[in-house]
Amino acid sequence: MKPETPTADYLFAAELFGRLVWFVRLRWMAVAGLVAASLIGPSLGLPGVWPALLVVGSVVAAFNIFFTNHLGWRSRREQPYEHLRSCAVRQILSDLAALVVTAHYTGGLQSPALLFFAFHMAIGTIILPTRIMYVVAACTSGAMFTVYMLELNGVLAFHPLDPNRGMCGAACHFNMGAFIFALVGVVALTDSVTSRFKKRNLKLWETTQELRQSTGELQRSLEQVETVEQRKSHYMRISAHQLRSPLATVRTSLQVLTEGFVEPGTDRGRRLLDGALERVDDLLVTVNGLLDLAKMREGRASAPWTRKVNVNQLLTDIFDALEPLAQAREIRLVPEFEGVVILDWGVPPDLIFAFENLIENAIKYSREGGEVVARLRVQGDRATVEVRDQGIGIPEKFLDDVLHEFVRAPNGKRHAPQGTGLGLAIAREAVEAHGGALELWSREGEGTTATVSLPLHLKPMKASS
Amino acid sequence: MAERTVLLVDDDDVFVEAVQAVLECQYRVLRAANGTEGLEMIAEERPDVVILDVMMDYLSEGFEVARKLRNDPVTADLPIIMLTGVDQVYNVRMEVDESWVPCERYLEKPVAPGDLLRHVAEVLEDQ
Repeated sequence: MKPETPTADYLFAAELFGRLVWFVRLRWMAVAGLVAASLIGPSLGLPGVWPALLVVGSVVAAFNIFFTNHLGWRSRREQPYEHLRSCAVRQILSDLAALVVTAHYTGGLQSPALLFFAFHMAIGTIILPTRIMYVVAACTSGAMFTVYMLELNGVLAFHPLDPNRGMCGAACHFNMGAFIFALVGVVALTDSVTSRFKKRNLKLWETTQELRQSTGELQRSLEQVETVEQRKSHYMRISAHQLRSPLATVRTSLQVLTEGFVEPGTDRGRRLLDGALERVDDLLVTVNGLLDLAKMREGRASAPWTRKVNVNQLLTDIFDALEPLAQAREIRLVPEFEGVVILDWGVPPDLIFAFENLIENAIKYSREGGEVVARLRVQGDRATVEVRDQGIGIPEKFLDDVLHEFVRAPNGKRHAPQGTGLGLAIAREAVEAHGGALELWSREGEGTTATVSLPLHLKPMKASS
Repeated sequence: MAERTVLLVDDDDVFVEAVQAVLECQYRVLRAANGTEGLEMIAEERPDVVILDVMMDYLSEGFEVARKLRNDPVTADLPIIMLTGVDQVYNVRMEVDESWVPCERYLEKPVAPGDLLRHVAEVLEDQ
């Protein structure tokens, strides 16, 4: 099974599978060689051993058929690496056993079949872990040594290739030593060459995986950018519509006057002209709000983030600035500061805008004689500012919406007709730019509590817009 | 023929004042500042045509008033002209359910006085 995140084993498994298929095909050539040798042998005047080679050829053919099925041709993607590796070890051990038998029947340590041992060691080292191949080399050497000893002591018959020659005597001891040295040497030499390639292959594979991961991340970023673009476009449209409505009113009013439906000098004419002026003023306020919002959004990319902000001082300044407005409406401003709260960083003008807006709203939507409380405290690693009023409140179904641009609750519109519907959106923008959150709680007729929570120790954010 | 009555439902008083001045040349004009007021006035005054703004106290208020009028057997045949600053495509984007806007005309602000008079006349003629 292809894993969700491919591991290195998966890479090796694919490689190993290809090699094993190749092994199975080569083995048919070995079978053909053994059968051919058993058929041609007698005509070369070397009787005796050839039926044995035919038997070895048949056995090799039989296990090759078994391995073919065992490998599972049709489901290469479902072969786990462990399974393929044990397949490879079994195949190599079977091959080597067949080779030992073949060598025994074709002259023992004088057999030309000895060359094929080296061939297996090299291939085995390429596709399998080297330590396994050292064990295989040791087993093979042991097997060959045992056969040699049995032949030497007459337990097994010696089958010379040249019937006129006997065992080679002392020279064969050297052959035995050279054989063992060759097997181990081939494994060591092959390993020294291939290990570097294996490492590079693994590195390449890891790089590919990293690349794939970064591509995925890029894709996600792209989607985020698209979402932001959509939001921007939505915002542009809603802004345009907010400007269009008063413009349409101005145009209709003026057209009614110019086309003579109403005389400019009459009461109604004056009302229309005043109304048009009023709408033009509204337009200016809205345009200014939009500029503020744009400034705030752009400000995130350029403002110096390293400044510490004393929230107590900030709120006190705002209270001082709003005191005349509160007095005019006979509203009491109550600061409730629990300790001194200092943010590690912040953009003071943006925070002032946010809190000023919230407190001004609280005053604006309060009934005369009410109270506006600003409660500042630390909760965990966040500073919390609650701005609480006893005003008209926000109907529940508008609670989420009023935080968006141009949305005003109907009771708010009736209570204070002037207003762009941009203030809360800008405040939220400013708070979120500081890693904070703005939440509203309200009950219609009872009052509203706006809660701002800001992280005390947020590290300066990277410029983003 | 008796003087026909037009009801204007719109929360922009200056706009209403201007449109009222135009329509008063030919019709009796009533005004309401939101959907609820509009529905009450329709029940009391039985106007011949109603001109509805869409975005008033909330985004789709005009559409909802139109649906209520159509669903009530008494007002099901009352001609409705939507006159709004919001274009139709935008309403779909805003996810305002506009699958059924039961109106005779859908006009976008600003509308020229002459055009408005023509639309009202046509709608009344079709009655």
